[in-house]
Amino acid sequence: MNKTIIININGIVFHIEEDAYEVLKNYMTDVKRHFINSDDSLEITTDIENRIAEMFNELLASEHKQVIIEQDVKAVIEQMGTVEDFEHAEEDTNASFTNTYYNSGTTTRRLFRDPDDHLIAGVCSGIANYFDIDAVWIRLAFALIIFAGGAGILLYIILWIVIPKAVTRADRMVMKGEKLNLQGFKKNFEEELGSMHSNFSNFKHEAKPFVYKTRDFIGDFFYHLGTFFNGAGKILLKLIGLFILLSCFSALIFFIVAFVALLGFGQFAPFHDMPYGVLRHHHPEYIYTAGFVVIAVPLVSIILLTLKGIFNTGAVSRSAGTTILVIWLFAIAVFVYNVTRIAADFSSSASYSETINLKAVKDNTYYLKLNDLKYFTAEDSARLNIKNLAPNMKITDDDYNDFDHYHQRVRLSIEKSDVDQPVLIESYHARGRSYDDALANSRNIKYIFAQQDSLITFDERFYPKNNDLWHDEDVYLTLKLPMNAKVVVDRKVEGIADFSVHDCNELNKRDGNRLSEATFIMTDNGLQCKVDTMVTDTVLNKHLLSDSTKKLKK
Amino acid sequence: MIVENTQTQMRKGVLEYCILSTIAKGEIYASDIIAELKKAQLLVVEGTLYPLLTRLKNNGLLSYNWVESTSGPPRKYYVLSDEGRKVLEQLDKTWQELAYAVQISIGDRKVK
Repeated sequence: MNKTIIININGIVFHIEEDAYEVLKNYMTDVKRHFINSDDSLEITTDIENRIAEMFNELLASEHKQVIIEQDVKAVIEQMGTVEDFEHAEEDTNASFTNTYYNSGTTTRRLFRDPDDHLIAGVCSGIANYFDIDAVWIRLAFALIIFAGGAGILLYIILWIVIPKAVTRADRMVMKGEKLNLQGFKKNFEEELGSMHSNFSNFKHEAKPFVYKTRDFIGDFFYHLGTFFNGAGKILLKLIGLFILLSCFSALIFFIVAFVALLGFGQFAPFHDMPYGVLRHHHPEYIYTAGFVVIAVPLVSIILLTLKGIFNTGAVSRSAGTTILVIWLFAIAVFVYNVTRIAADFSSSASYSETINLKAVKDNTYYLKLNDLKYFTAEDSARLNIKNLAPNMKITDDDYNDFDHYHQRVRLSIEKSDVDQPVLIESYHARGRSYDDALANSRNIKYIFAQQDSLITFDERFYPKNNDLWHDEDVYLTLKLPMNAKVVVDRKVEGIADFSVHDCNELNKRDGNRLSEATFIMTDNGLQCKVDTMVTDTVLNKHLLSDSTKKLKK
Repeated sequence: MIVENTQTQMRKGVLEYCILSTIAKGEIYASDIIAELKKAQLLVVEGTLYPLLTRLKNNGLLSYNWVESTSGPPRKYYVLSDEGRKVLEQLDKTWQELAYAVQISIGDRKVK
């Protein structure tokens, strides 16, 4: 079942199928446009129309049917000849006839909406065609006008309604300023074949009266709105793709820098907390290389996939892909093997304690301080040839030489002693391949502290003997003091202590940030902050009293 | 390609002369002219004839009469005007000359 349309060719009425009508209308539009600049255009086209009507009549009569189908129209057009045939026949017969439209008019462009290249309705690309520039710039301009108060939307809709859509092949060629000759048509013809059907369906809109046009416009609007969001989705996808690319590239650059730094200096600043010493006996360059490949290959793969999937460029051949995959798997194997070997060195833990008797002080007051000599000057380190954790680096500055104990832990706690004798229990923890190994490692730890009468000085760090590998060593110090012992703790000790000097000062309503020490007292319940309640209250009350007396006197 | 081009040129050169000659035989309808010309392999499609006829008519060589038709709109039947006859006589003469010239050019060469 097909929809038929009633048409009137110079007074003769025909029933014609919709598809056939579109072909016919298209043909006649081309023919009329072909002769448009001829003085006799009306007469010629009328002659042609009449002849077509006659041929239709003959066809209907001979085949005893009522409706003209597409086949009939095509047969008629074949007999009558296409615009290309006319052009061919006129080519060089007669200079006087050669139409001005086809010579001087060839390069003049006409403004059409471009149905072949449209984001919404082809207004922008039409304008771009007219001025022979890339449609992107016009679209960009429209986008900018939209942001500038939304006038662009209104302008677009007006242009949409006002500018006709390029329907026929000739329209498109005039739109693009192509030469309206045989070569031009031939070139254009292939393009049109592809878009033939859509072209005809577009034509339907053009042929309808204006009232319907408005209705179609609304339908069109929503259709194009759909395509627009489809297009916007594509743009969003590209943006996401761009984001992925940028992230992967920056990550890749970061890891390349890290890799080079690790190979060259054995250290990489953003990760200086890492115990690089662990790797010292394990061919670190292999581990770094393997680790780099393990990270870099997926990054590069993501970049390539994004390029291929979203931007449709760049590709890796199958064999290259396979090679890279094999290399990656090998790198993973090397990496995992080494990491496992290193991890095995940490499988057991052991600890070892030592109790040191301290000299008792008569007034039972102890001053705890931290060893201030923790910093080395540049000369010191050069003179002593002190090596940093990085094998190829030496400490040469005064400020940043807090070497090699980022991952060392010294903790100090103070407990009550049952006897009058104060003691310090040093407990060393370390890890190793086996218990014996771990115990040996813990015995290798050397911790330095000093007592000078009532002053006990602690070190912030410890020293593994012969600067050995890192074994996850910890040192726990327990200072056992007799009852009622007064402990004056320097603020710097806080770094290793499990009690807070700052909080104690705050408790006494003193400025915890300013005071450099706090006093603690050993009680039955362990170490307590010494709170000078009486003193503070008295001072405060006196102050208040004096204030009120002053007021009374007045 | 060159051969085809020359052939086209030759056909086109005599096209108008042939149209006028065809019409000279008597009042004739456009599609009948086409039929004659197709027989002579001078024209392939009808559409090209109408501009030619219109131009000849506008130059005063032709005139036409409307004739009612049973199979469609009224038809234009073309006839030669007096002016057209004079032009045709001249063209006849020219053609004779041309035919003679071609004959001489070919000479003794056998043309199949």
